Order: sequence, then structure tokens, then C-alpha cells
Amino acid sequence: MKSNTFSRRRLVKGLGAAAIALPFLNLLRPEKTRAAGVAKRVIFFYFPDGVPGPSQNGEPSLWHPTGSESNFELPTALSPLLPFKNDCVFFRGLSMGATDSGSHPGGAKKLLTAADGGNGESIDQYLARTVGKSASWRHLYLGAMANQNNASGDKHISYPSAGQSITPEDNPRKAFDNLFGSIAGSGGSAQVDPAKATIIDNVIDDVETLRAQLGSIEKSKLDLHLESLREVEKRIKSGGVIPAATCDSPSIDTTGFTDGELYKDDKFPGILKSQIDLMVLAMACGLTKVGVIQGSVHTSELIMSRFPATDMYTPNFDMRSHQASHYGASHDLAKAELKAFLQQRTWWVSQFAYLLDELKKRPEDNGTMLDNSIVVLCTEVCDGNTHMHDDMPFILAGRGGGSISTGRLLQYGYERHGKLFVSLANAMGDGLSSFGDSSSGPLPGLVG
Amino acid sequence: MSKVFRRSAAWYLIPALGLSFLLAGACGDPAANEALPGNAATGEELYQKLCASCHGKLGEGATALRLVPWTRGADSLVEVIDATMPKFDPSRCVGTCAKDIAAFILSLESACEGPSFGPRKLRLLNRREYNATVNDLFGLSGPSGASCSTDGDCDVQQASCIGGTCVADPCNMETFIFPTDKQYGSVHVAGEFNGWPGTIAAGGYGMTYVPAKSLYYVKRSLQNGTYQYKFVIDETNWLPDPANAVKVPDGFGGSNSVLTLGCDASGSPSGAYDWAKDFPVESRPKGFGYDDNVDAGLVTSIHIEQYMKAAEALAQKGVENIGKIVPCDYNADPTGCAQTFVTTFGERAFRRPLTAAETTKYTNIVKGQGSFVDGVRITLQVFLSSPYFLYRFEIGAPKGDGTFALTPYEVASALSYSLWGTMPDDLLFTAAKSGKLDNAAGVSEEARRLLKDGRARDIVGTFASQWLGIERVLSADKSASLFPGYDGAERQGFAEETKRFVTHVMFDGTGKYPELLLGGYTFANDATAAVYGLPGGLGQTMTKVDQPAERKAGLLGHGSVLASYAHSDQSSPIRRGLFVRETLLCQEFGQPPANAGGVPDIDPNATTRERFAQHTSDPACNSCHQYIDDVGFGFERFDAIGKYRDTESGKPIDAAGNMNDVNGLGTNTDALYSTLPELAAIVADSRSAKTCFATQVHRFATGRSESVSDLCALRNFEKSFEANGWDMRELVVSVLASDGFRIRK
Repeated sequence: MKSNTFSRRRLVKGLGAAAIALPFLNLLRPEKTRAAGVAKRVIFFYFPDGVPGPSQNGEPSLWHPTGSESNFELPTALSPLLPFKNDCVFFRGLSMGATDSGSHPGGAKKLLTAADGGNGESIDQYLARTVGKSASWRHLYLGAMANQNNASGDKHISYPSAGQSITPEDNPRKAFDNLFGSIAGSGGSAQVDPAKATIIDNVIDDVETLRAQLGSIEKSKLDLHLESLREVEKRIKSGGVIPAATCDSPSIDTTGFTDGELYKDDKFPGILKSQIDLMVLAMACGLTKVGVIQGSVHTSELIMSRFPATDMYTPNFDMRSHQASHYGASHDLAKAELKAFLQQRTWWVSQFAYLLDELKKRPEDNGTMLDNSIVVLCTEVCDGNTHMHDDMPFILAGRGGGSISTGRLLQYGYERHGKLFVSLANAMGDGLSSFGDSSSGPLPGLVG
Repeated sequence: MSKVFRRSAAWYLIPALGLSFLLAGACGDPAANEALPGNAATGEELYQKLCASCHGKLGEGATALRLVPWTRGADSLVEVIDATMPKFDPSRCVGTCAKDIAAFILSLESACEGPSFGPRKLRLLNRREYNATVNDLFGLSGPSGASCSTDGDCDVQQASCIGGTCVADPCNMETFIFPTDKQYGSVHVAGEFNGWPGTIAAGGYGMTYVPAKSLYYVKRSLQNGTYQYKFVIDETNWLPDPANAVKVPDGFGGSNSVLTLGCDASGSPSGAYDWAKDFPVESRPKGFGYDDNVDAGLVTSIHIEQYMKAAEALAQKGVENIGKIVPCDYNADPTGCAQTFVTTFGERAFRRPLTAAETTKYTNIVKGQGSFVDGVRITLQVFLSSPYFLYRFEIGAPKGDGTFALTPYEVASALSYSLWGTMPDDLLFTAAKSGKLDNAAGVSEEARRLLKDGRARDIVGTFASQWLGIERVLSADKSASLFPGYDGAERQGFAEETKRFVTHVMFDGTGKYPELLLGGYTFANDATAAVYGLPGGLGQTMTKVDQPAERKAGLLGHGSVLASYAHSDQSSPIRRGLFVRETLLCQEFGQPPANAGGVPDIDPNATTRERFAQHTSDPACNSCHQYIDDVGFGFERFDAIGKYRDTESGKPIDAAGNMNDVNGLGTNTDALYSTLPELAAIVADSRSAKTCFATQVHRFATGRSESVSDLCALRNFEKSFEANGWDMRELVVSVLASDGFRIRK
């Protein structure tokens, strides 16, 4: 089931090789082709409970754009992305496979691992330990109410090893202190603290001794432990974290909520905004290349009707995310749930747009940070009511340093989403050739 | 009467299979057994895909029949599977598939004949274990209670001297500390909070010198926010805080220190400093409610940073009172004393004696620094960041038969962390050294000793909160318009009530499981008494009181349970029903079908029960909800915060229901009740509830969910639990003294 996109991309490639293709390229590609570059960073932005996709009764999706690759319309749900339409790539036909289709946890486990049951490393963790390891921090995993009520492991999307997710940091202030108050020092001291070096050398020695003693027992656990130590060792031995020149006086605004209010629904927008700001700050300061922002968790109890000064606000009725997602079998706009669900999804898209805007505001090289980034919007199911894992509502933004042509709607018959991750890795300069279950090769036509 | 439990028939099957296993010499490898109809290993994979969601992952039954023990013979099992299973599409499993799955199901029972042990593991200390361990290691009993004449006599970072006693500082009290050996004319704090005064007279916070601790300090209550500040020496020399790594440029070529205060007004000062407060939270795998899961204990670079920061602060504490950890004169004999420090401290930090190589390595670290004290400071930090400190080892030593026995020191840690949540005490170390922990009798004796200690009470409270999932009462959102005044005091009170109650049953009551549901009493303070409609006058202290008649249902009547398992604005028969099924009876359900509806809309003219009626009228829903709603309805007299109500939407509440199939889904038994106390009595009387409790204790103690290989051990616990009249203390002892707790493969 090769799509039109695929064959056309092949055509372009062939012509390009013959070096006579420029006029055609300009016609075929909505964005000017740049010299193939490499993405400097990637951010995954997660929101829970899917979208109003194709309904149970077969009505068409209220989320996916319609039209051709270069000429397409955004539905109302995506309206906050109108100013960024030419910075984005939209998809149809990306599938996470049939296993556990119909399930929130099953989808969340596959979302970044592309492996059934979360039985594999997630793409963010893979990128962290490959292209990401040259940065001070290999990985930054920020949450907003993502550990609420001791959320179980199947609700978290980052998997450093098969079958085992980790928890994000839900407190922007703590996350800020982690980054800018490193044990290795900060502020450009550029002096190696010999005591810290002695300590970490000796600790690494203990872990290596232990790993050798235990052989295959608990190997993946100790491998991760050692990689984590090496990351901190690098920070210590490079004389502390030296922020980039653009990173004087780093700060984020966290005035809207206290540590005791991290799980108060009406504070959620402020908390998420702080985490977005922190992610952009960390990236702008060159502290990390790989980030994940997780807004809430699947089957979310987030009471979005409490968000102040939004169209969702209803003072005397609590509308939770997951409750709204079960809007019924059809797209009946008279139903309160569907109306709320659309408002909620549009709000999530507006948060994604805010992230893009913050990246786009910041000049970098000859363009903006967004031009050098890849930002991926994702959720664990397609339609919130049917929970299907086909036609997944991924949206990609950023030109990946010139590796990705944006402003396109790529429509596939059926491609596994692991291929998207292969393409992302390739766009970051990693030679990954397959990822997860049944995902060999890159997504046709995305990168290059 | 159930069709499944034909014990007489089972008697034929079990020994016969077990014997053939023994003859084949293939315990634990059922595939090798020719008596089975197919390949059990293949069957297990197929079973987990096709059958487990309804029959339970170990054949224990869920929404469909319990399969173990299968009493109708291997041929009939193959036939049933071939012709009728899986229900949703019988064509999915015929022929070899049916035979293999049958082999697996039959092997579940026979697995009991052979020994079966858990995997060898490293268990990362979680936050509460880390905190308790370092407090024990450094003899830090928390800041409160000690007598004092000045703040400097207390743990000045976190306590003040008030009326001759050290009292923990409130959350918004910030202590600035400037460590220095030298005394100056003056030192003060200047920053955004006081307008950067250059002198104390102009409003600088003047600091006090504590010669015994070589530091200046000052305490001030500050509003939440982010502040830049500096220390000013002799009103001329401006320095950033040397102990604070967070700095920003000051615009004059130097740096300002940055302080961020985010104090929760509802939080009360805790007794002891929380060294692990900034560590990442533990991951809790689905279906495993405890914070000690062995596979989830992964170390990220944030963990490393936090371990090193905590170690730095702890090492500072260590050298401030160096006589406590260095039991020798280091001026007289630096080398000998370095080694003595390393072996004595190391044995406690690693919870086992150091090897010769480790002693040499760590002694060299002490000796390799500028001074002995610096050597101790650095060495302490290495100890506290070492994997031998951070992991509890459950690795064992080879027994020669392919299994591994935990070393006596590993057993000592397993006991102390299970029962106290912290490192072994001296007596436990002595027991390990003497060989007492090599056998079940010695382990039982030590377990009994540990159970008598106050720390066992704390851990029972922790276990109860996590088992019952009631930690969420502290944060679960409630509608302010519907429940005005429901606040921190009620939440804290509810959480504390359940801890106190379970601890009381265990240690001060009969110790027997049924008391958890039938005790008739609970603990309350003024805040919770108001919700319960009990007389006040109790103050803030939790006091033992009779439960009001309508909620005389033990745990089921606790505000913590009722408010945790409810929505923000309404009760939830689903969550409460599932709480009984999954948490109390260990009867697990899969995910609801994809197109299941959400919560029905609030209808001012209907009761919750009426709104949920669809579940039991729609056959697609009813297959599961027949087990859920009719249990959850029993709680309907209690609203979303656990307050009693007679009516809802102007209609009387109907809280009658059916605690059907209490001892196994699919057993087709009814147990009608009309009130919550009656429901509690049915649960208390059931076998499932007690078996489930044993399973929960096993999960908490081992840090993992049970697998097929634990089935027999769990049945043995159940048997001894019953023989001891469902005494929970005896159950704990039997779990900790079992072979499975000490042996790995």
C-alpha cells in the first residue's frame, strides 16, 4: 500500500540525483529546500486521551487536516496551529499496530517505544544515549500532574529499558534546580572540583566492579546506572555546566503556584507553561538535546473545566479529560462531552503552539530555534471514544535543521509509527535503520 | 455451591501429576513432562494472550472461571478449549493450541510440587528507605525534642530552640548558613527580600556565630517566591552563599545566590529532615501499589545528582560530629584510624563487612585527601553514592544445586527493610554474623523481635496506606462548591486514621484480619469527627472512638477509602466496587471495552444508582459490572468526601446489593446485603479476602508481583494464615521465614 507521497518522493529523489530537479522541487515542495542539515534537538509533547478522530459510527475525523500534500485545510481543533502551518508536518495513516488497540495503557506503552506492551526502549531514551549524549544532560523529562495519585508506570511514556518506564519531574522549581543547580556547579566557573572528581571516580569504580561480579544479573539496571554516572562525571570534569552565551541569568516564572498546589487542577495551565518555558530554556542554553513534556496521564482525571479564563471553564460542573473523551458513538456537537472534548483538545493544541512560538521567537544560526528543532505532538490513542491505534494524531513541527520540509500533509495508507522515529533519528544524524516492532526503514518522504 | 471446587476429584490429579514430575526430574519445566497434553511453555505464551484477561494470569479466575485446580481431567480441558475458547472467537485456538494451553493450565497446579524461587535482584532504596537509613547511619533522630539553650544546640538548619527544647522549624522558615572557621566583626544576609541593605542597621539580617559548629546562621520567615541574595562580611565584602549551587550573574562580574521558596501552607513541619525530598518519585508498575518495586528502581542522572547532593550535606553533618563515626584518635594513628573508620562505618553503610579490597580502597580515599577530616568527608560521600549502599542486595551465594541462598547479611537487610523500612540494627548484624539467619527458626525469632519495635508500627502504617491506595486522599481533588471547608485537616486526619487503625488492629487488637472490617471502632480527631457526625472535643489528636452505626464496617467506613474512591463531585460505585474486588479480594479486571461510556452525567432528578443502571442492563457491560456495581452500591450512603447521607437528589438512598462470587469470580454464589456493615461482614468472612491479604504482604515484602512460581508459596502462606486464625503478625513472620524469601534462582 504505497501512497502517492511515497512514489512522488522517489521521483524527486531520482531527479535530484540527476541534478536537474530544482524547478520541479520548488513546485513539488511547499517549503524551499535547504541544504540537508541535522536537527539540533527534539521535544516530544504528550497530552492524554486522544482526539475526536473517526467516530465509532464512521464519521470522518475532526482532527486530521484534509486536502493534498501541499494544499490542505486545518480543522477547527487545530486552529491554534494556523500561524505555524508552514512549520508543521501533518500525517494520516500512521498506525501503532493492532496489539492492545482499543486500550489507553496499551497505547501509552507503544507510544514512544513502538513496541507492544512497552517492551522496548523508547525513542527519546534511544536518542538521549546516542545523539543526545554530547549534551550536558542527555535527557529531560518534565511532567505536569503526571505523577498525580501515584500514577502507575503504564501512564508514563519514557522507557530507558524494555518494560520499565520512569517518572517525570512534576515540579518546575525542582526541575530548574536540577538543571541549573547541578552538583557539578554552574555559572561558568569552569574549574574542576577535585573532591567531586574523586568521589565520582570511586563510585564509577564500584559500579564497574559490581557489574563485573554480577555478569548478566541485573545488567540493564547497572548499565543505566553507569551511563547516568558517566553523564554526571562529564559535567563534573568539564568544570561545571557552562551555559551558552544566550543563557545569562536563567530563570522561569513559577509565581502562579506553590509546591503544595502542583496537583490542583486550576493551577495546571500555569504549571504546564512553566515546564514548557523550562524546556525551551534548557534547550536554548544548550543543556540538553532531547526532551519530553508529559501533560497529565492517560485516562486523565484532570478537571479541565476548572481552568480559569478559558472557554472550558464551568464553575459548578467538573468535566474531566477522560470523561469528555467518551463523547459517544457519533460526532454529535449538541453533546456536552463532545463540545468539551473539542475545547480541551484545542487547548492542548494551543499549548503546543505556545511551545512552537517560544522556539520560533529565538533566533539561532540563520533562522530560529524552531528551524533547528523537531517537536512532536502525541497522545496514546486516536479517537478518544474508540481508542483505536490507527491513524494516530501525531503532528511534527520544526525543520530539523533543514532535514525536513514542512508545511505538508503526508498521507499514508498504513505505516507503522516506529518509522517516524527512524526518520527522526536520521534527521538528528543518527543512522538508525529500524525501531520497535515491525518498523524497518524511515517514513517514506519525511526526511531528505 | 460451585461447580469448580470438586476437591475430591482434585486429589487424584494433583499427586499424580506431581509424582510424574518428580520422576521425570523436571520440576519447574512442565514442558518436559509427557503426561501433559502439550507443550506448557508454548501454552503459557498463548494463555497469556488469549485467556489471561478473563481467567487471570495464573488461572485464578477473574471475569471468567477459576481454572486452578482443574478437576475434570486433561482430555476434557483440551476439549473445552478446542471447542469453545476463547469465548470471543473459538476459532483462534484449536488443535495444538488447545493442547498447549491445557498443558500450561495443568502445570499451574503441579508447579506446587517442586521448589520455586524468585530472581536474584538489586533493590534500590526508595525515598523513605534512603531517608530512614541515613538517619540511622549518622544517628540523626530528627531535629525535635532535644533540650537546648540556644539554636546552636539544635540541628540549626531545621530546628530552633524554643523554651529549652529543639522544635522543628515551620516550612516557611528559611535558615541561612555561612560555614566558616573564622569569626568576623559581622556577617549579614542581604537580598531581594530585604532590599539589599549594606549594613545590619539598614535592615540586613545579622547572623549569629556558633563556634562549636563553625558557622554563622540566621533564620527568617519568607514569603514563597524566588530571591537573589548574598552574604556580607564586615559590611564590606559581598559573597555568594558557598553552600548554594544555584547562582546567577550579579551584573558586577560576580554571582548572586538564588533561593526559591515554595512552601505548602497546609503542610505541617515533619519530625525529621527529609534528605530524599528532591529525589525523583518511585515508579509503581500497574497493579503494584507499593513504592518498593524491584524492577522500577532505576538510577537516572537526576538520581545521581541528588544522591551526591544529599551525600555532601550528610558528610558535612558527619564531620561536624566526627567522634560519632570515627571511633579512634586520628591524630595519634592516622592510618590505623582511617582503616578503623572505613571498616566500622563501611559495615553499616554496605550492611555487610567490607572485603579486603574494599577496605584498602576506601582507606586510601581517606588518606589521599588534604587532611583526615577532609578524607572522612570525601569517603563518606563515596560510601553514600556507592551501589553497595544504594541497593539492597538479594543476590545470594550458590548453594550448589542451581539455587542461591541470600547471605546472612542480605537476609538481615531483607528483614529490617521489610519490617522497619531501614537498615539492620546492631542485634540484627550480630545475628547475621553468628549464623542465626541461616535457618527459618532464627529468622522467625528475629522477625518477631523486629515486630515488637515501634518502627514496625510505622511500616505497617505505610503498608496499609499503599495497600489500600489511600494516599490519594491527601490530593484527590474535591469540588469546593459542593464540599466547602473540606481541607488539609480532614485529608490528613483521614489518612492518619487508617494508618492508626490498621496498626492498632495489628499490634494492640486481636491481630486478626477480620478485625479490620468488624472492629467497630476507629480513630478520629475534631476535623474527621465533624465529617463523621461524632461529638467533637477531641482536638487534633487521633483518639479511639466507636464507629457510628451506619459505618460500622471497619476500613470500608473510613473517610480515606470513601474519598479516595470517589470523584471530585460525586461518589463512584465503580471505583468503590473495584476497590473491594481488586484491593481487598485480589480479583482483577481487565480494561473496559474501548467504547465504554464515561461517567453518566449528573442528573439532578436521579440518584447515582439510577444513573449507573445502564451497566447492569446492557449485556456488554454486565459481564464485568455484575461484579462491580452491586458491590459499589453498598457505599452509596457516603458521598464523595465520605460524609453520611440519607437521600440524594431528594430520593432515599438504596445501598443494598450483592457481594456475589466473593470467593472467586464465576463461582456463581450470591451474598445479599442491605447495608455497608453487612457488606463488610461478608468480606471479613470470605476466604478470598484473607488470601488476598497474604498476597499483598508478599508483594510488599518481595517488591514484586507474584508469578506462576510463587503460587505454591502463596498457598502455603494461606494455609498457615488459616491455621493461626488469620493472625496477621504470624502471617508476616511466615512470609519472612519462608524459603522463598531467602532463596533465589
